[in-house]
Amino acid sequence: MSIVDAIRADAAGLLQTGRAKLVLGYRNRQGRRAPILLADAAGADQLVYDAECRQNLAAYLRKPEVRQQFPVAVVAGPPVMRSLVMLSAESQIPAGAVTVLAVGENEYHGALDLAATAQLLREKYADPAPDEELLRRVREVAAMSEEERAAFWTEQFSKCTRCHACRSACPGCYCQWCISKRNVPQWISTADLSHGTFAWNITRAFHHAGRCTLCGACEAACPQGLPLMLLNACVAECVEKEFGHRTGYDLEEKPLIGSWRPEDDDGFVR
Amino acid sequence: MKLLRADRLAELAAALAARGYRVIAPIRQGRIVRLAEWRPGAAIETAGISANSVKDFLFPRSEIIDRYSLNGGDFVQKEVTPEAIKTVALAVRPCDAGSVSVLDTVFNWDSNDAFYNARREACTVVSLACVRADEHCFCTSVGGSPGSSEGADAVLRAAGGGEQLIFEPLTPKGRALAEAAGGALAEGEAAADPVAEIPLRFDIKAVRDWLAGNFESPLWQEFASACLGCGACAYACPSCHCFDMQDESNRKESVRYRNWDSCGLALFTLHTSGHNPRSTQTARWRQRVMHKLSYIPQRFNLTACMGCGRCSRLCPNGLAISETCEKIARLCKANHEGGTP
Amino acid sequence: MNIYKPVVMRLLEAREEAPDVRTFRLEFLDAAARSDFFSRYRVGQFGLYGVPGAGESTFCVASPPTRQEYIECTFRKNGRVTQALQDREAGQCITFRGPYGNCFPMDSWRGKDILFVAGGIALPPVRSVIWNVLDRRSDFGAVTIVYGARTAADLVYKDELEQWGARPDVNLMLTVDPGGQTPEWKGKVDFVPNLLKALPAAANSVAVVCGPPIMIKLSLPVLRERGFSTADIYTTLENRMKCGVGKCGRCNVGPMYVCKDGPVFTAKQLETLPQADM
Repeated sequence: MSIVDAIRADAAGLLQTGRAKLVLGYRNRQGRRAPILLADAAGADQLVYDAECRQNLAAYLRKPEVRQQFPVAVVAGPPVMRSLVMLSAESQIPAGAVTVLAVGENEYHGALDLAATAQLLREKYADPAPDEELLRRVREVAAMSEEERAAFWTEQFSKCTRCHACRSACPGCYCQWCISKRNVPQWISTADLSHGTFAWNITRAFHHAGRCTLCGACEAACPQGLPLMLLNACVAECVEKEFGHRTGYDLEEKPLIGSWRPEDDDGFVR
Repeated sequence: MKLLRADRLAELAAALAARGYRVIAPIRQGRIVRLAEWRPGAAIETAGISANSVKDFLFPRSEIIDRYSLNGGDFVQKEVTPEAIKTVALAVRPCDAGSVSVLDTVFNWDSNDAFYNARREACTVVSLACVRADEHCFCTSVGGSPGSSEGADAVLRAAGGGEQLIFEPLTPKGRALAEAAGGALAEGEAAADPVAEIPLRFDIKAVRDWLAGNFESPLWQEFASACLGCGACAYACPSCHCFDMQDESNRKESVRYRNWDSCGLALFTLHTSGHNPRSTQTARWRQRVMHKLSYIPQRFNLTACMGCGRCSRLCPNGLAISETCEKIARLCKANHEGGTP
Repeated sequence: MNIYKPVVMRLLEAREEAPDVRTFRLEFLDAAARSDFFSRYRVGQFGLYGVPGAGESTFCVASPPTRQEYIECTFRKNGRVTQALQDREAGQCITFRGPYGNCFPMDSWRGKDILFVAGGIALPPVRSVIWNVLDRRSDFGAVTIVYGARTAADLVYKDELEQWGARPDVNLMLTVDPGGQTPEWKGKVDFVPNLLKALPAAANSVAVVCGPPIMIKLSLPVLRERGFSTADIYTTLENRMKCGVGKCGRCNVGPMYVCKDGPVFTAKQLETLPQADM
């Protein structure tokens, strides 16, 4: 049975038996892949899966219309699985609310609960193959002087129209009142001048330090082609180096920027 | 008639720039083609459609509409002069040119928006008729066409199998541009190449009839289910025009920005009391479709969707005005033919 | 001409009406601005009141065009702009844009009985009409005012309520929600819609109804039952607004812009609008 057939069969089965009231998966749309939220088993034959599936379906778990339908099932590759584990660790997913239709590099691992998903990730997907091209660009940025780096990122962010497609696409962005929308005080300028676009993009990247699974959904969503994966990878590189932290493998993990360990480096305290 | 070689479009741009025009044209920037300020050496992309629209230059993403200097609890109003840079929007798609008519109406019905009008008056729109279209284009379904001259001061049309471009001025601004172009345009005769054939994707009349009577339909939840409420579609859309006004200040001065906004964003209608009339994404997607295809047509007798297909190309989650309309039209057809939708 | 450019007004006086609710009395700094405003102002219209650096907020003009030395507005402190406004002291300035919107068609009410129904912080838009009616008292028939709030402390314009109640040509009924009364409270204790049931049948009357959505929802059937036609029941819609001139799209409901086609609507007109968007 092909991976896609197996996904379809499991999705239909979960919907038919009521073990899921909604299946979040991918469908074909004009040559590309788009999310589909299925409530009816008869629609399961629309489900597809391949490397072109770039949306992170875990982002839908913040939608009230989806939460009202718990339990749900989510078609997930390793980055999405890690996002689901991360969300659970951050108390965003009630127990039993999500079944994962776990798809690996070349195999389908079946319908798993989150505990089994975390275990699968630890056993089989703990060391994702690095994206060499991305790493090269990260090193290129790291080698810049501070001025060059500031100029580089200012130039990149100048194309940002503050549409917030990146935020919508990201499962980690579930704040009901995003900091960019707060106006008492106005933390981040709403204008498209550099102090607004720079602050927004950098703040968002920092808010995802240690939470980002480098799924790529944000960059895929950005209509202006901002190199968001490069930004996230630069942050992830720092997180890896300083804290050795990778999110999404442990349901009990503590969030990086929300917790402290005695062995954390405090050399920056002067 | 005026002609130029298709591979010499950049020379036309250079001639216009030399005569004081800021030239905006479709330029490739990495993996995106964007309408941006042309600089010598930049190639103008005549195939495809830019990610952004000509709206950016008439109604920019952010602009300052009021300014104050502050001194403790006192303030002094400052003058804000609407920006008016002599501009030519060169080789934009006809759907973009057509959207200017929608923006003209919105910004001038009942009262005149000086900021929009200053840019509008200073801008000459030169559209380039489409000889090709992609699967996202649907201008013909909303009353447009790939060869339309609506909203344009001048139109470029491919001729001689794409080797030539015919330049046809339509308005005084277009004629002034032709004159400024000088030797970049030659005299000659050519027959325009056929424009793209864009099949109708849906019956707009059937869709509008359905919209008028189905505000409460449970189908809206299905249409909107994959929408995550970003502003990508509205911001890229050439005719979307909703905006926010926002003050920002330091101790010495404050500015009032007029920023793009979208009815698809969650906080658009949120009252300070916490009540939100459109509190679900379903309600917000419905508003988007209704405003463009039902309410604005009712009120102003024009369709506020050009069928440019940007929403369809850019939505990360596969939504589009066309997608919803196609679903509605299929439903109407099935009902009409007595089948189950 | 910049349609978004406000004029400057001076705060003459700020009165505390209820917890966090204040009435501002404002005068135009510029005589030309004042005469321009009063040449156009009709009761029911609203303005955008602002503090540079904080922004603008939308309130009705709570005083009538029959009084031209000042305008008033009444608002609750709720967010960034209303906080900045309430931080203003007498003598300081704010910005103002208006008058915007449509108005109550008071000329068509000549000779009719008028019923005013208001709840809580929604008395201000009704108050401008009440003052206008009282300033032209002989133009109208019987005047009845039914006003309630959650608690006695939440009633606004307390001094004026006393004045209205003391007038022989006004029938005033004040009420608080059950549990909202104090030992000194002398008015009724009931929800506003219930008080409407005791009113006489309507004949040659119009009703002006403003209040929280639930109050309106429950009052309309009672009024219809009392004989008011939906074309004779007037209310004001409140929407989040920014431009106030029908361009920014925020107050769009159905084909209407509340800032241009409203804020005054009849119940009959409201029936044509999508209820779910209100």
